[in-house]
Amino acid sequence: MSDVKKSAAEKAAEIIQNYDGPPIRIMEVCGTHTHDIFRLGIRNLLPENIRLISGPGCPVCVTPVGYIDEAVWLALEKGCTLCTFGDLIKVPGTEMSLAGARARGAKVDMVYSPIDAVDYAEAHPGEQVVFLAVGFETTTPASCVAVRKAKEKGLSNFSLLTANKTMDNAYLALKGSADAFLYPGHVSILTGMGVYERLRDGHGMSGVVCGFTGPEILTALAVIIKGLQKGEPFCANAYPRVVTAEGSPEGRELIADTMEPVDTEWRGLGVIPQSGLKLRDEYAAFDARLKFGIPNMEGRANPACRCGEVLQGKIRPDQCPCFGKACVPEHPVGACMVSDEGACSAFYMYGGEQL
Amino acid sequence: MCVGLPAKVMDTHDGVAVINAGGAEREVSSEMIADLAPGDYVMVHAGMAIAKITGDDETQAEDIMDELEDLLS
Amino acid sequence: MNETITLAHGSGGRQTNELIASLFKKYFDNDLLTADDAAVLPRPEGRLSMSTDGFIVSPAEFPGGNIGKLSICGTVNDIACMGAKPLYLTCGFVIEEGFETARLERIVEAMAKTCKEVGVKIVAGDTKVAGKGQVDGVFITTTGIGVIPDDVNVGGACAKPGDCIIVSGDVGRHGCTILLERNEFKIKADVTSDCAPLSSAVDALMGVTHDLHVVRDATRGGVGTVLYEIADQAGVGIELNDKDIPVDETVQGVCDMLGLNPLYLACEGRLVIVAPSEYAEDLVKALRTSPYGEKAAVIGRVTESNPGKVVMKTSIGTKTILPLPGGELLPRIC
Repeated sequence: MSDVKKSAAEKAAEIIQNYDGPPIRIMEVCGTHTHDIFRLGIRNLLPENIRLISGPGCPVCVTPVGYIDEAVWLALEKGCTLCTFGDLIKVPGTEMSLAGARARGAKVDMVYSPIDAVDYAEAHPGEQVVFLAVGFETTTPASCVAVRKAKEKGLSNFSLLTANKTMDNAYLALKGSADAFLYPGHVSILTGMGVYERLRDGHGMSGVVCGFTGPEILTALAVIIKGLQKGEPFCANAYPRVVTAEGSPEGRELIADTMEPVDTEWRGLGVIPQSGLKLRDEYAAFDARLKFGIPNMEGRANPACRCGEVLQGKIRPDQCPCFGKACVPEHPVGACMVSDEGACSAFYMYGGEQL
Repeated sequence: MCVGLPAKVMDTHDGVAVINAGGAEREVSSEMIADLAPGDYVMVHAGMAIAKITGDDETQAEDIMDELEDLLS
Repeated sequence: MNETITLAHGSGGRQTNELIASLFKKYFDNDLLTADDAAVLPRPEGRLSMSTDGFIVSPAEFPGGNIGKLSICGTVNDIACMGAKPLYLTCGFVIEEGFETARLERIVEAMAKTCKEVGVKIVAGDTKVAGKGQVDGVFITTTGIGVIPDDVNVGGACAKPGDCIIVSGDVGRHGCTILLERNEFKIKADVTSDCAPLSSAVDALMGVTHDLHVVRDATRGGVGTVLYEIADQAGVGIELNDKDIPVDETVQGVCDMLGLNPLYLACEGRLVIVAPSEYAEDLVKALRTSPYGEKAAVIGRVTESNPGKVVMKTSIGTKTILPLPGGELLPRIC
């Protein structure tokens, strides 16, 4: 085969497979990366001295139990119609998941987009529609467009239960969890490269912005290996066909005009300052917490669940005592077993790290 | 955290783009990209076009592998 | 005939007779279907295969078929998958009060047309009408009997390492069609259900060899679920080549939009065949010349390694486990 020209992906795979330096830990921050890395069998390609750690970039996984309790309360106590991404349906709350609430008569509708939830509210004026707004920089603009559209239309039966999060400060909470990071490709569409330059220059953190196809993940890993071999903190954009250096000023503006930063709790990571978003005062009428006076929900996670440590890369999913026993995708104990992107779910469904 | 759908823009009007992925069509918001036109390729997430796509992944991989040193300097 | 079905149509009286005469007898008429309490059938030669299935689908009519066609295909395919020639069917209807008679006629007509294509007779039936809201439109249950040739022994446990795995067409079309028809996600796409009777496809396979190890029709849960069932029943591993699995481009587009895997979407006219690999080429050729089989392909093989698991060879040459099927299919966005 030596006369056949090797593809770039093959060259990248060789760099990965032939790596014989000191052990390195690479954290894929984004849950979609976790999922695609398993789907593409990339872990089976890695030599023993490269370890991939799944990070906290799955909005479902880092959403605290109390958020589900709030949603369940809105549905069962206030009779609200919940519109949600499919991902949240099975996440356990203190008492029950949304699927559990649905079985008790709650109206829970899956939508593809928050904007569809506004259309639903307009078509069903007799229902109070609450969209469960989770997600990072990638997903938040659509929720902002939704709430603006609802205001424009003068809808009084639409609101958001916000749990939107931003990554900038979360990266710092992950410092030390890995030697380098695969930065989330689609969050970077919004942020651009500036945040990664600051992490490099101010905090000595290294990483590469990565796309989601086989060739993209392989080349980004190859860039990380080369970068770590050089020994200096680095950041690079290995997804330039979609991510630009300046990011999306329009998207950032849309968010900044609609929402404002707040301190927020991340499951497993605790409260990270200014890493959450809530609606600005001019959209207060669309804030489900204010509109319905939701009582403070503490939210109790199952004490045996070690999702928090999994999310920080401190333990592998199969080192949690619940994994594969009490906690399986059909009956998840922790959120990491729920979402297809959750480290535990991916680990379970794809049968562990190595084939 | 963010499944993206690469799709082709078929039509745009009033902040809405009709996008096509393999023959499946849907309306999405185009409010984040000012100059979207039919024929553009975009990344779609949660019913919103969030970025233009300016090339394919294999060419991008070739460029990165060719410029590995420069990329890190 | 009334424009809609009323409770009186299920009462056993005059209007029931009218419904039977104007619809069921009109379309299902054959020498074995009589007004007596039960059918009397000639003694068949050989072992019998028998199966029953209930059908509820919303919407009852969809591109490529309706619940009537589905109810015949479902039971015919189950019987055919045991290597049997389907002979007789019974059908039971539960109809919601107020159901449009013209719609019921389209459903019954589709049943008759599919029976004719397969060469199977409806020999007994039953009709009940339930009050408004007690059922969703119409539910149909069909039961069937077929005869198995003496030298045919198929079953999930018969898969052996080295066998080839064939699928008779592109996967996931029915599930995708129904998803689109419900329009919950506002996606427009031209997808037609694969709903089809597969007895002639099984005939075509039998024309190549009777030494087939497993023949299954992939329904709910899709081809992925069937493969896990076979791996489990036979205690073998299954290895698939991602690039060889036929998926319609538009079905893939819909799946990409919603984060679904076409291997887990329902089919209603697709066979999964496990057979000795020396027959692979001839079996695919035979399927491709049979109706509904033009996209038949070898998609993988049975292995001794990884028992109970389905392993996928990916587009970048690595191997990974096909995630286990499980629970409600939830579109994912993040």
